[in-house]
Amino acid sequence: MAKTYDYLFKLLLIGDSGVGKTSILFRFSEDAFNISFISTIGIDFKIRTIDLDGKKVKLQIWDTAGQERFRTITTAYYRGSMGIMLVYDVTNEKSFENIKNWIRNIEENASADVEKMILGNKCDLDSKRQVSKERGEQLAIEYQIKFVETSAKDSLNVETAFFTLARDIKAKMEKKQEASNPQARSGGHQLKANEQQRKPASWLSRCSLL
Amino acid sequence: MNEEALLARATEERERIFQRYERGRDNLVGQIDPWEDPEFEDYHKTDRYGFIHDERLPQKTAPQKVNIEVEREKKWVKMLGTWDSPATQEKLHRRIYKGIPNSLRIKIWGKLLDVARLRAAHSGKYREMLTLARRWSTDVRQIDSDVNRQFREHQFYRARYSEKQCSLFHVLCAYAMYNAEVGYCQGMAGLAAVLLLYMDEEDAFWALAALLSNSKYAMHGLYIEGFPKLTRFLEHHDRILTKFMPKLKQHFDKFGLDAILYSLKWFFVCFVERVPFSLCLRVWDIYLLDGERVITAMAYTILKLHKKQIMKLNDMDLIVNYIQVKLHKDFGYPDDVVISALERSMEELKRARLDTPGPPPSKELPQRTLGVFVEPDNKSKIGQRAETFSETEKQARANVILRREKAALELQELRVSQSDTVSEHSGLAGAARCDDSVSALGSRRSLADTSVTSTADLSVFSSGRSHAPDNSLDTHSNVSDGDTGSNGSGICGMSIQRAPSTAHSTPRATPHPHSASPHPSSVSPHPVSVSPLSDDVVRIHVTYNPLAASPSRLHPISPSKRFDEHSKLTLGLFTNGTSSDNRIRIQVPSEDLLTPVVDSGRIITQHYMDKDVYDLK
Repeated sequence: MAKTYDYLFKLLLIGDSGVGKTSILFRFSEDAFNISFISTIGIDFKIRTIDLDGKKVKLQIWDTAGQERFRTITTAYYRGSMGIMLVYDVTNEKSFENIKNWIRNIEENASADVEKMILGNKCDLDSKRQVSKERGEQLAIEYQIKFVETSAKDSLNVETAFFTLARDIKAKMEKKQEASNPQARSGGHQLKANEQQRKPASWLSRCSLL
Repeated sequence: MNEEALLARATEERERIFQRYERGRDNLVGQIDPWEDPEFEDYHKTDRYGFIHDERLPQKTAPQKVNIEVEREKKWVKMLGTWDSPATQEKLHRRIYKGIPNSLRIKIWGKLLDVARLRAAHSGKYREMLTLARRWSTDVRQIDSDVNRQFREHQFYRARYSEKQCSLFHVLCAYAMYNAEVGYCQGMAGLAAVLLLYMDEEDAFWALAALLSNSKYAMHGLYIEGFPKLTRFLEHHDRILTKFMPKLKQHFDKFGLDAILYSLKWFFVCFVERVPFSLCLRVWDIYLLDGERVITAMAYTILKLHKKQIMKLNDMDLIVNYIQVKLHKDFGYPDDVVISALERSMEELKRARLDTPGPPPSKELPQRTLGVFVEPDNKSKIGQRAETFSETEKQARANVILRREKAALELQELRVSQSDTVSEHSGLAGAARCDDSVSALGSRRSLADTSVTSTADLSVFSSGRSHAPDNSLDTHSNVSDGDTGSNGSGICGMSIQRAPSTAHSTPRATPHPHSASPHPSSVSPHPVSVSPLSDDVVRIHVTYNPLAASPSRLHPISPSKRFDEHSKLTLGLFTNGTSSDNRIRIQVPSEDLLTPVVDSGRIITQHYMDKDVYDLK
């Protein structure tokens, strides 16, 4: 089957139940809001292919149940994610406090260099706001994660968030490929030399019997 | 905030939420945010010029069908009068499979679930639980959030804080107190919402109680920590697919599609929002009569009926969308046809002794006495998320991961065996043709996984790249195409020699000089030895049985043992448990794919391994 994209990135949305993960995803994948009245049980995903600096990037975005009990299923899907959106609800203090807990979940279950981003959703509901933008920014600085406030309902910053995350992943990936494989086309010798320098230990010492 | 303040905040929140449901919609005028109500589309049929548009539903029920339903109703009313008679019980099966008339569902469901008896036997219990919930419930916020999202397209549930929404909230809060082990789990709102379409609040409560703890349905095990029943039923579902629809199973495996992705709601909420509602009700009718085997058979039936269509879909998202969304909108078969197919499936599965994965083990049933109040601890009162996983949770997560990776492994087996038949000279090289390339990000992640994986079994599957068909793999295909242009004089040669076969006993791993034996008692007369001859060559001698059939399921025979904390390359010996088939598995993370593989002096992969899991036979 002919591929219709250059890259495939797997992204993940996590955060407390009811913060609007599904709404954000629906806004991004369908540009609509009306489906916010469905709760995600277990895990689900949506697809959108975007154009990023001339490359077609297929985003496979996993949406997760927020209820704590489902973490036995959802954390199994952290594996393989290249980018994770941590979502809280600016009208719900507790969902913000729990972000630290979600970050810990990422540290324990996802790849160490996964790209992360914090989203403070429902920023349209200003009268109900419990978490100021400054506090969101503060937290993001503390963890050195990008941050943006969004509104799935008013379509605010949703596109920006996904594009930023995707761009960061792409940049990291390309940088990494370059570093590990500077002369890909000239053959494998170069590569081996690098490899040997990096890992002088004997082959066997890196071997294990199961 | 200190604990006291956090507790006060939680109490205040519970109080506020409860009050709103107690007051109801009529007393909340001006206090319901516009976003809490869906747009009332029934009033949106007028266009901008003022013309009203007729958007009638397609007429699906033919007039003669209505007559049939009227005739049936009469028979059912008669039958209700003599419910306990042997004649009725005899007729019940046939009539229920034909469908319970909608007007009588309330009565028949109540009978099937024995609601009246439960309610009478526990008089006052429901109110008691509700009162306790008002004071102690820790699930209020989650329930509130889910009531706001349940069946909002139904007239009963459409308006925020409508009567039915309030009933739903109360039933779920009371049940969470009644069965503290389950509390409230997402999915239960779906069950209760269906029941409430037909029953009053208290009946719905007892019907829900029956669905969870009556051993015929035993849904308790679905919702408790770790979802043990879900795991058990998914495994059984896989067994059924492997036996009856192996091609479809392979198709799913090919796209890394674990059944959990398409079937969770089948098992969790008995097909609610996964098949059209009319069909869903028919399945519920039968489920209430015959119990959990109906779920197993219906899952099979859905895939059987749509196999052809699904086989045409060559993408995970297309398949999932078809099964989850398309079939909900339009199942493509009349309900009666589906039910006949379901009945046939049940017989078919019964003949194959696959109609049920067996009765629930005791841990899937309530351990504590139901309806006895247990005060929640402060942590759950505050609603803090637990920082660490319990042992049960770790095991459950390991199961989910294992499911995904098993499918990947089976797919690899398939590819290896397929390529065997294509080119017999280079049967081993066939595997190297496997066109998956590896994502740089993806493979490092897999390594990281190993360290957090708790079970020894799992590390076998997860230490290398193991999400074989996992879609991230396509990502770098264009890059690795360039890579393979190198020549093969790698620094890390590996030769694997086979010892001649005299196998008549199960080969085991011998103790490695650097480590204690994983199985001290299992030294066999034909040992496998891994002997270091130099830094870059390892010879592995394996007793080999050429008559061994192609592999089915592989099991690691020894727990993971590491020589080195930073081990990157993994060798594993697998057997299928009957000693007839031995396997060496080599796993290398993609960063280290510098290893030409040589088997009995023959180069298997020309340059170096272009995938990081490699099986030798």
